[in-house]
Amino acid sequence: MSQSPLSLPRIVLLDLWHHKWIVLLGLIVVANGIVVVYTSHVTRQLTSQWDQLLQEQDRLDIEWRNLLLEEQSQSEHSRVTRMATKELNMARPLPKEEVIIRVQ
Amino acid sequence: MARQAKRKLNHELIPWRLYVVVGFVLLLFCSLIARAAYIQIIEPDKLRHESDMRTLRTTSNQVQRGLITDRNGDMLAVSVPVRAVWADPKHAFDQDAFKDMRRWQALADVLQEPVDKLVRKVKGNPKKRFVYLKRQVTPAVADYIEQLKIGGIYLKSESRRYYPTGEIAAQLIGITNIDDVGIEGIENTYNTWLTGTPSKQKVRKSRDGSVVERLDMVQEGESSNDLVLSIDQRIQQLAYRELKRATEMYQATSGSVVVIDVNTGEVLAMANTPSYNPNSRDNLQTHRMRNRALTDTFEPGSTVKPFVVAAALEAGTVKSNELIQTSPGWMRIGGRQVRDSNNYGDMSLAKILVKSSNVGISKLALSMPVQQLLGTYQSMGLGNYSGINLTGESAGLIHDRNRWSDFERATLSFGYGFTATPLQIARMYATLGSGGMLYPVSILKLRQAPKGEQVISPQVAHDVMEMLVGVTETGGTARKAHIDGYPVAGKTGTSRKAVAGGYGDDYVGLFAGVAPVHNPRLAISVVINEPKGDKYYGGDVAGPAFAKIMSGALQMLNVEPISEREAIHLATAQGAQHDVIK
Repeated sequence: MSQSPLSLPRIVLLDLWHHKWIVLLGLIVVANGIVVVYTSHVTRQLTSQWDQLLQEQDRLDIEWRNLLLEEQSQSEHSRVTRMATKELNMARPLPKEEVIIRVQ
Repeated sequence: MARQAKRKLNHELIPWRLYVVVGFVLLLFCSLIARAAYIQIIEPDKLRHESDMRTLRTTSNQVQRGLITDRNGDMLAVSVPVRAVWADPKHAFDQDAFKDMRRWQALADVLQEPVDKLVRKVKGNPKKRFVYLKRQVTPAVADYIEQLKIGGIYLKSESRRYYPTGEIAAQLIGITNIDDVGIEGIENTYNTWLTGTPSKQKVRKSRDGSVVERLDMVQEGESSNDLVLSIDQRIQQLAYRELKRATEMYQATSGSVVVIDVNTGEVLAMANTPSYNPNSRDNLQTHRMRNRALTDTFEPGSTVKPFVVAAALEAGTVKSNELIQTSPGWMRIGGRQVRDSNNYGDMSLAKILVKSSNVGISKLALSMPVQQLLGTYQSMGLGNYSGINLTGESAGLIHDRNRWSDFERATLSFGYGFTATPLQIARMYATLGSGGMLYPVSILKLRQAPKGEQVISPQVAHDVMEMLVGVTETGGTARKAHIDGYPVAGKTGTSRKAVAGGYGDDYVGLFAGVAPVHNPRLAISVVINEPKGDKYYGGDVAGPAFAKIMSGALQMLNVEPISEREAIHLATAQGAQHDVIK
């Protein structure tokens, strides 16, 4: 058997080099496929996160409405007036008792 | 040895076996490719459909009804999401839900209803697919019911309307029915504005139920809008409290108060008694729900007298310093008698208003053509809608005919023979306060004052206001409506209520006025309907409430009270005027 001047790996590499553009295109196709899969995965994750945030918004809105209701009924003017007069013995001054201080 | 074996192998290769194997492999690949092609290209719809069935869902977001706030942002109506419990009896039977009655007992306990009634609702209609078990349960209760996991029992989102101010502005704001549709008051008038429509969207959900893809909108929703009223809740509660006190003290059937901003025509408060609690729908009575301040009309009595004076001054049939002879305190017109409580002799215009002289005002009315008087009334908003644009508003009744007897002309001048609402009375006084500018009444907060209409000249409006100051001073008919610090231009009114075939024994007591006279801010009318006690004069029953509401409201609006010195100055100016006349 005669020793060939070229070893097999060398032939393979040379062959690849010879078709380098096709190989490159092939690699790009594969990479592209992976990126598509990855992107759609990320999109889904973001959509899901968005949805969760919307739900959170709804929840906070409900809480806000309930707190608002509580605030409004606690700070209702007639209630404040009643507490001020009954519990704190406050009274509204008559117009003639008002003292006007002018800031020049 | 190895070489030998290799040679042997080479020699023993049987070609057809290889072909068979290769053929099988190729066939396998071909059929796989064919199958893939079939699924992907020729018939993809079936599997797509199967996938969509498992992942596609339509979601809808719930839109809450808009908030109603007063002019300072205080909440008057707030919607809060709640849940409705409903049952699908068919599902309940299919899932054998009645096996575990402990769950039903728990459900009944939390809904506070007897368990057999609840079960009967579901068991009694095995064919039905939808039965409400309870509307508007709180989120906490809803969570509990969800955890009970009874077959065929489901929850549905809905919303409940709360009114933090309760009865104070109940008739004005109105209420919604259980399906969130406004049926009374502002809730009704602005229903479409306040209501939003939910949007529906197709989404793809993953196995754990989270949305992974948003697809097309099925239905574009519309968000609801908030409503900012011109009401000032501080003044509103003060007005309601004082009105309620007056109604109870004089055992009146009902009462109304309207507070209008003189310079813009905005309603700052509108309250009625008796009121109701809009947060509890259990025992609603329609007579309590009516916004009497704009639905109920009555003959306004003496409160219109200042406008007769204004009409006469406009017509030029009388001069502002003229004296009217009213002796002997009564007069006969066309066989009927008009009388005063005393013989006041010669009266100035101011004194006619201060003493509320029927004879004096009748003479003024007879001095001008009846169309002049009616025209003035109508130009100030009587017999017409005020522009507030609320359901049920009454325009009042003012006849427009050519033939009037002299007595009818006289009665027109002291407020009989036509009807008006409390809102219209307040608006007339607001027009006086704004120097004769008539503004459309608004219940919504305005960004800028609307375009007004000059209906009487500023000079006449000013003169009439000066004349009215005496009404609340010593010797006037409404000493109780006097406010130290804020001089009031107001007028009392007491009118008998018309019944079939004449006038009955019931009265309407009114007081209406503007203040402060030197720089008018507010016009208020207080109407006490059918006071049952000893007192029924407008100055007695409505005057004190007017003074309380007016002084409190002006303080809240930071209107500077008049100083002692200025008050004396004003009083001497009044006195000087009297001196000239005398």
